[in-house]
Amino acid sequence: MDRVQRAHAGLRSAGDYPMSDNSTKAAAAEVVAAEQKAPASSGRLGSFVHFVTGDHRYVLLATSTVALLGMWLSAQQRSAMSFLAPLFVVELVMYYALVAWLLLSAAGLVTKLMHWHDYAQKSPFARDPLRTIERYGSYLVVLITCVLFVDRLVMGFVSVTMRAIAADSIPEDGLAAALYMLYEGRDLFITGIVTTVELAVFGTSIAFFLALLMAALRILKVDRPDNDFVRFLKALGAGFAKAYSTVIRGTPMMVQALIIYNAGFAALRGMGLTVTEINGLWSTFIAGLVTVSLNSTAYMMEVLRGGIESVDPGQMEAARSLGLSQWQAMLRVVFPQGIKFAVPGLSNELVINIKDSSVLSIIGVVELMFEARSVAGIYYRNLEVYLVAAFCYLILTMVATWLLNHLSRRLDAPRMSTTSDSTNAAGVAND
Amino acid sequence: MASVEANAHAVEPLVRVEALRKSFGQLEVLKNINLDVMPGEVVTIIGASGSGKSTLLRCINLLETPDSGHIWFHGEDLAADRVNINKLRESIGMVFQSFNLFNNMNVLENCTLAPVTLKKCSKAEAEERALGHLAAVGLSDFVGAPVTSLSGGQKQRVAIARALCMNPEIMLFDEPTSALDPEIVGEVLNVMHDLAAEGMTMVVVTHEMAFARTVSDRVVFMDKGVIAEEGTPAQLFGNPQLPRTREFLARYLED
Repeated sequence: MDRVQRAHAGLRSAGDYPMSDNSTKAAAAEVVAAEQKAPASSGRLGSFVHFVTGDHRYVLLATSTVALLGMWLSAQQRSAMSFLAPLFVVELVMYYALVAWLLLSAAGLVTKLMHWHDYAQKSPFARDPLRTIERYGSYLVVLITCVLFVDRLVMGFVSVTMRAIAADSIPEDGLAAALYMLYEGRDLFITGIVTTVELAVFGTSIAFFLALLMAALRILKVDRPDNDFVRFLKALGAGFAKAYSTVIRGTPMMVQALIIYNAGFAALRGMGLTVTEINGLWSTFIAGLVTVSLNSTAYMMEVLRGGIESVDPGQMEAARSLGLSQWQAMLRVVFPQGIKFAVPGLSNELVINIKDSSVLSIIGVVELMFEARSVAGIYYRNLEVYLVAAFCYLILTMVATWLLNHLSRRLDAPRMSTTSDSTNAAGVAND
Repeated sequence: MASVEANAHAVEPLVRVEALRKSFGQLEVLKNINLDVMPGEVVTIIGASGSGKSTLLRCINLLETPDSGHIWFHGEDLAADRVNINKLRESIGMVFQSFNLFNNMNVLENCTLAPVTLKKCSKAEAEERALGHLAAVGLSDFVGAPVTSLSGGQKQRVAIARALCMNPEIMLFDEPTSALDPEIVGEVLNVMHDLAAEGMTMVVVTHEMAFARTVSDRVVFMDKGVIAEEGTPAQLFGNPQLPRTREFLARYLED
């Protein structure tokens, strides 16, 4: 009981810890993060409330950096839409509140330096009347900084955006120019984003089914009961899958795109079609989709193979010992377990395809990169356009990652909770 | 036992291993093994680690491919190329040291997968039979449980029930209790004991000398890839002929 109480007191006070109040900001951030994670039981909102209402050892150190940030924001130029501009006195009070907070923190630091090892016992800052005041003071500091953040940065950005949209010609300022081009070229960017997403989603889906086929070819080994024809097919299939993987993974996708597009074009030309007819049939989008699919197939096949091979070989042996054929054992026992290992790698392919489809602009697929280059050609502001393109790709990949994480968590859920529903479960095995 | 020996010429052996050889690379694991297993007989194979006993057992249902020799079962040579081993394996049950239950299924599905997939019977029939076998090994309460939630002893009993669901003519046990805690070894040995009493033909690789002595009809001692000595438990444990056998048994009886 005594030990528990001591441990609890230790969690609450700085003195028992060798870490100092003037250690680096990163250390403070770590502690803040650790304390945030501690009450995991009551969910994200609960842990946030717990964090805010709790007393923290590094409250002065952490909030004095927040106060400094607020003072820096206050020193920034006001935009046209600043709501603090007419309230000069209010801002002055806020500013000096931050200064006062810094002075208080400095006093806290001095007592820490004086009582390095028994800060928690000796310093008035670590004990109750002052500690509660520190907590409410920290709320005020964070609030003031938030107000300054909105006034300077958020309203500043809104103001720049309004100006950029209203402008007749491209503004000089970089951010305004980027916003101007994003607004003026919005149709182009939207078309590009839609095409990029289409290429990635359809390409990855097609590649997944092709990869399943290829992984099967690659993994099925010659088995004793197989007759000559099956043995020949298996050897041929494994050789083909291996060669395919080597060639595709050993050449750049840009080169593949050029070869596939031109090969398709030449083949249709050889059949006697005119250029207009070919452009209708073998559009750059179709050629690009074929490229992404074929390219991704090779990588996804390796991911699937890795997943299947990481299943315990005893699973295969047990299934075979019961009389199941290689194919039945693979389908019923090994693959359902292996696919779980492969899920992260497979979903990663979608993210990769969102980014790598950018090379298809070389054959003229009208995707995001192609459109970004078109906009750059209109305004001659390369840097800003490509920053906008990078921002769009980042948003796309972040959304895709978030969606896939949710999806994979949902896929795993029913497996984890398989319990007493034997009839339903047996039905799954019987399909 | 003596009666079985006397009938050896009258009754065909269920499994006959003939001149079996197996090497892993340079290492010759099995050197000319000959072994007959009569119907209803319980044969235990004992021997030091690395003596080739597990490899011999795994050769009997072709989980390891022998280099040469024959394994006769139902008049067919399992070791011959292009034999339909899938069909023959249906009649040879196997229990592994590490259980190897299908992790993506629950207990009942583990037992019904093979009978249903191989169309031995309808799903309802397979489930009924599986429930019977699970009840016999004392696991009626765990029918719907995921296999990952079971203890080692429970897993091994499910593995035995799973093998029995195929109605095998012979059961192979590859060190079935070696991965278990000492206090739960008994629950698996009891199941095997019951199975032997019902007249199941069994080949058991084991380090459980008490089991070998009390349950088996014949004990085979393997050493360095050959069958060094074999006989009834009374002969082998009571009056071992070779110094190597005596040495091995002495070490086990010390424990």
